[in-house]
Amino acid sequence: MALDKSLIVARTDLKMALKVGYVKYGLIGITAIGPIMVLATVGIIIFTAPNATELYVIMQMLGPTISPMLGLIAIIPASLIAANALVGEREQNTLEPLLCTPLTDRELLIGKVLSSFIPSIALLLGSVLVSEIGTISMFLIAGYAPMLVPDISGLFLILTAGPLMILAMNSIMILISGRVRRVYEAYQMSGATVMVFILPMILPMITLESGGIDPAAVWFSNIITILIAAALFVVTWGLAYSRFNRDRMVSLV
Amino acid sequence: MDEVSISGLTKNFGDLVAVDHMELSIPAGTIFGLLGPNGAGKSTTTRLLSTLLHPTDGTAVVSGFDIIENPVQVREITGVLPEESNHTIYPSLTAYENLEYFARLYEVPKDEIHERIEELLTFMELWERKDDRAGELSTGNRQRLALCRAILHRPKVLLLDEPTSALDPIAAKRVRELILSLSQRYKQTFFINSHNLPEVQRICDRIAIIDKGKVVLHGSTRELRSKLLAKQEFRIRVVGDIGKASSVAKSMNFVEEVEEEVDSISVVIENPLENNSTLMQALLSNGIKIVEFAEEETTLEDLYLEVVKGGTA
Repeated sequence: MALDKSLIVARTDLKMALKVGYVKYGLIGITAIGPIMVLATVGIIIFTAPNATELYVIMQMLGPTISPMLGLIAIIPASLIAANALVGEREQNTLEPLLCTPLTDRELLIGKVLSSFIPSIALLLGSVLVSEIGTISMFLIAGYAPMLVPDISGLFLILTAGPLMILAMNSIMILISGRVRRVYEAYQMSGATVMVFILPMILPMITLESGGIDPAAVWFSNIITILIAAALFVVTWGLAYSRFNRDRMVSLV
Repeated sequence: MDEVSISGLTKNFGDLVAVDHMELSIPAGTIFGLLGPNGAGKSTTTRLLSTLLHPTDGTAVVSGFDIIENPVQVREITGVLPEESNHTIYPSLTAYENLEYFARLYEVPKDEIHERIEELLTFMELWERKDDRAGELSTGNRQRLALCRAILHRPKVLLLDEPTSALDPIAAKRVRELILSLSQRYKQTFFINSHNLPEVQRICDRIAIIDKGKVVLHGSTRELRSKLLAKQEFRIRVVGDIGKASSVAKSMNFVEEVEEEVDSISVVIENPLENNSTLMQALLSNGIKIVEFAEEETTLEDLYLEVVKGGTA
């Protein structure tokens, strides 16, 4: 399988998306919500905590909440780009020439998934990096020993379940592309789908208990979340690939 | 050897039969024209051949590859100019980037990509605008760019849907020249959908007329021309009694129609090559002085209209 053809599709899609100002800045804007919320929350806690012990307990409790939130915010741009990937091509009449090229269904779909996966992952990593650097800086400024927010278990969740959820989201959007005519319909569908996809990502939050958290429970819930994300990806990709139908894509025009 | 062979090709959209058991064969190197009124099934046929649509029944073989069994191979050796192709260009990419993208997807050798793009854009007088966003180009320029995209990878078979529909006469002439030149240089086979009958008549070697998804006439342009010539209209300008000239013409069994005008009669003659001189002699022997005996120009359009309206040629 020539993955390089998929990369050509992904790179060109990305180049086109980034040439449109409102897409580029819109994506950055949506993704910036995550780090802004993290930094605001952490900042308020650091500067209002009565002492270091209480601060670290509160921060530990924040972990299972903040990591899923960052992951969820990264899914939103992924769904928007993916919604545009095939339906957008159809709407602007560029789909037919693309389908006439020797791309196989698999190459085309991988290309389209990558075109939204790459920027989504870049934005997710960027938002995590900004959050970590920002919180460490605030700890140091306030005179406390720095700690990671999200913590190690949170980072593990973001870097494993995050990409899987983005891939699953992109796959489901490919599946939707064969059933809607217009981009705005795909956006509406993506909104509804994001709501469903939120559920496994908030699983770690149930490990929160009053007065502290059990690290073993956090790791256990992380593993469950990753397994759910992996299963979602396998099922959605399988459906997207097996149901992809050029005839339907063209006939829907 | 046939480059395109269509057998029993059928495509239904629900209850609508867009292409109905089509049978066609197109020899390699042919410039083939598919004519038909709107909704006749021309674009659907092109989409079936380009593997965009899956046939309901029947199949087609393009350069040895079956459109159902080997769709990727078919797409490798075909170049497609879709309907309203001026809208099928990526507007946010430059003219150059549009072609480069497709050159890579068609696996044009990397060291040839720039050269081929420059050659084509120069030929189409678009090289100066290579860095302009395609969305800023005029309709005609976008159409030319789409044509460049279709031929960039030097396909064996070109499927062109209304290739000159959005072009001014000069650009349309250049496209026709390009088609003829490519046909001569690379022996490519062209499958052209068009409403532009004079254009089809000018460049196509073979023609088929379809109506309601069925091929109603198929043959070489020469054959179709001879069908036209089997019955032809002439205008005979005479000095003297028009009524008498009309009566003489009507008395001939090979004259189908006679129409009197101010200083002439119009007649439709069967097998004119054999019968013209007989009619002339008859008129002269009846004392009618002939000033002009002129052939009324008959075009493919006449045949097309006759076939589509009458259902037979």
